[in-house]
Amino acid sequence: MRVALAEDGSLFREGLLMLLSAAGHEVVGSTADGDSLVALLADQPADVAILDIRMPPEPDGGLVTAEKLRAAHPDLGLLFLSHYAESHYLMRILQIGTESIGYRLKEKVGSVDVLTDTLTRIRDGEIVIEPVLAKRLVERPRGERRGVIDSLSPRELDVLRLMAEGRSNTGIAGELFVTGKAVEKHIANIFDKLGLHADDSAEQHRRVLAVLTYLRSQRDDG
Amino acid sequence: MAVDPAPAAGSPPPESPGPGRGPVLRPWSAPVPGAEERWLDRLRVQRELHDGAALRISAVAARLGVVRHGVPADQPELRRGIEDVQEELHTALQELRSVARQIYPPLLELAGLGAALQEVAGCAAVPVVVVAPPDRFSTAVEGAVYFAVAGCLRALSPGDGEVRVTLRRDGELLVVVLDGVPHRLTPGVLEEVRGLGGQVTTRGEAASGTIEVGIPCA
Repeated sequence: MRVALAEDGSLFREGLLMLLSAAGHEVVGSTADGDSLVALLADQPADVAILDIRMPPEPDGGLVTAEKLRAAHPDLGLLFLSHYAESHYLMRILQIGTESIGYRLKEKVGSVDVLTDTLTRIRDGEIVIEPVLAKRLVERPRGERRGVIDSLSPRELDVLRLMAEGRSNTGIAGELFVTGKAVEKHIANIFDKLGLHADDSAEQHRRVLAVLTYLRSQRDDG
Repeated sequence: MAVDPAPAAGSPPPESPGPGRGPVLRPWSAPVPGAEERWLDRLRVQRELHDGAALRISAVAARLGVVRHGVPADQPELRRGIEDVQEELHTALQELRSVARQIYPPLLELAGLGAALQEVAGCAAVPVVVVAPPDRFSTAVEGAVYFAVAGCLRALSPGDGEVRVTLRRDGELLVVVLDGVPHRLTPGVLEEVRGLGGQVTTRGEAASGTIEVGIPCA
């Protein structure tokens, strides 16, 4: 896969470059800030751009850089690597796009397998959300959502957590060692209990958004 | 409105709490010299954690991944050992993140009071609604208000009712209204904001009333 990278911390940038090359990916360029990456990618094709969130242009250059890249190259996948997994940033990232986009903790992509799996899912159009963050969202939803979450069975909670990671039905089935049919049934039950429209289960991006919005919303902002 | 930033000596502030108002707490003193700088120091230390130790540990995690990739497939124990070490690095970073949040929350620095307080609200024992303008304030004011409100929200018990936190700019004051909180939390709130000349008033029921903070933000 062709990958470009913007990260202002040189230690981590070097480490990630080593890992990308060990994984057999072609690094088409690496920069220490967002604007240089936009310039570099103007005439250099890539499959996925990896962006630090907190880098120049300050304060959160990764986000403004991503907006520019998404406008200039709609097919380019975007992977945000950050020191922080915050739902606030997740929502801002999903405002930039809900396809071919991902948000993960820097230290959690520290293996060839995980890094390649993350990049592949993003290239293939999926949303990839840091499991640490997805777990926290499911286990600690906004106040009045807790009662509903408590009504889910342990297996339904597993499915909801994997949905919040952006996993497809096939991906969820693979993680839980169950059939696709069983996953569909769990999802229908979850949406029923959450009071969400089951139609959303047909379309992965809308489904992920529906679940995340549900977990994040407070009564006043719907 | 019974909130003045720092009443000038010789001209007593208007003492008209109005009907239904409880005791009005006045600041002990004008802004404490150096209070502003102490918040800037806290922010600097938090950034050092991020740019130094945290980034170095993340880099080590990535380099360990390269080492693991080079381990032959017939040495699964060694591979697992490296994965365990990487998991320990993640735990160490989570602990560093927790320390950073207690010094000066990174989300507060980057996204302001509304976003940072929403996160705290999500962890409270009762439903909390936060209404805040997108306005940004100084490092010191945002830090003081964040820790004042967060301290309050963390002190709530599951039995307490819904709490509403409203922030608004009122001239040269940032006004923070906490509705549905016990008055006994007032000293903790005052402790955080008095250094910057902030003051606190209470009204309503002692068990579940209103605490209002006014802090100069010009």
